Amino acid sequence: MKALLEIKDLHASIGGKEILKGVNLVINEGEVHAIMGPNGAGKSTLSAVLTGNPAYEVTSGEVYLKGENLLEMAPEVRARAGVFLSFQYPVEIPGVSMTNFMRTAINAKRAYEGKEPLSAKEFLALMREKKKMLELPDKLNNRSVNEGFSGGEKKKNEIFQMAMLEPCLSILDETDSGLDIDALRIVAEGVNKLKTPHNASIVITHYQRLLDYIVPDFVHVLADGRIVKTGDKSLALELEEKGYEGL
Amino acid sequence: MKVCKGETYERVFVNEEVRLNIEQEADSHVKIHVINAPFSITVNQIGEGCTTEIYGLEHLRGEDDVTAETHVTHSVGGGTSNQLIKFVLEDNARGRFIGDLKIAPDAQQTEAHQTNRNLVLSEKAEMRTQPQLEIYADDVKATHGASTGQLDESALFYMQQRGIDKEKARQLLVNAFMKDVLNTISDEALREQLLDAIDGVVE
Repeated sequence: MKALLEIKDLHASIGGKEILKGVNLVINEGEVHAIMGPNGAGKSTLSAVLTGNPAYEVTSGEVYLKGENLLEMAPEVRARAGVFLSFQYPVEIPGVSMTNFMRTAINAKRAYEGKEPLSAKEFLALMREKKKMLELPDKLNNRSVNEGFSGGEKKKNEIFQMAMLEPCLSILDETDSGLDIDALRIVAEGVNKLKTPHNASIVITHYQRLLDYIVPDFVHVLADGRIVKTGDKSLALELEEKGYEGL
Repeated sequence: MKVCKGETYERVFVNEEVRLNIEQEADSHVKIHVINAPFSITVNQIGEGCTTEIYGLEHLRGEDDVTAETHVTHSVGGGTSNQLIKFVLEDNARGRFIGDLKIAPDAQQTEAHQTNRNLVLSEKAEMRTQPQLEIYADDVKATHGASTGQLDESALFYMQQRGIDKEKARQLLVNAFMKDVLNTISDEALREQLLDAIDGVVE
């Protein structure tokens, strides 16, 4: 097994307030890691820092993606290198069509990989293929990115983008929040279909519910900016029963 | 100039300064677009049942200094007017929008809308907006809105997270901002040409 992501003693703050206080984590290819924890523990900060959100400041520590220094890369370079975030609150972008947005993104990644851009025809064929695989409706293409989408549609659209971009590391930030059980099942099945021996996922969630569908290899509890406990999937069940105070 | 009863005056001005003073007779239609040029357009609806549409799009760079003025008067009722004026300001550009909208006491059942949206992309650029509404009739539907803002940082980051570099993400957002003005152009060939011209920046 090869380390895909290595996080070493990561500290980060927002507005001068320290949120991450020394996170250590190694993720190998083919693994699914769940990160659970109470509100305010730093779960979303971790996803923001890994993707290079400029609102957060890394104060110390190191992060490597396939041995490369991730923290030195611009956000778009991290994305092209294969880091994907399924946003907790996907952003609406009025006036930018899904097709134009996705094609620009795909071709930016292909250029980074030294590949030719996809033609309009190839691109549309790829969109159709991924939609079919995820059993998503076709209607999203001509609309503006996330504009007027329901909560469920937004999350499905995140998974669709994940399918298009084929990341090596997917971070699902509270993907289950605001989803009814049918939408949750479709989203989770999509994530499972995209799993390969060469990619990995970080599933950030407050509740055990999502982990009935996306079964993790490891469950980590993040509390007050540190990983305080690591176990297998039974840890999630234990947390559900006893709460975070029971640790 | 006068637009006679039941007639239509429709023009798209691109890179051409516009000074117009128009009187509209009953049931006449005026639809004007001004793209990237200063303008001052005065319209007076003197007959009933007129429609007036004024669209302005100003993408200013460098030392550009552009004023857009509209003076729309509903002297009689039953008419509609719709204005959408957008500025994008970069570098040291200065923009100004002056918009007077007047609904006379007798102009009942008038519908009038005025919207001014501005995107300021540089700290040195400056936008001034002076909308002025005078409504003397009571049975009317009138709205106006003016806003000046910057690019949505969360949208920029969202696009970067998908691998789109910041400069291209900015262009996509700016083009999206400008598109809805161009989308109102009736002439399909010209509309597509202008939309392609702004999209061309992206490719």
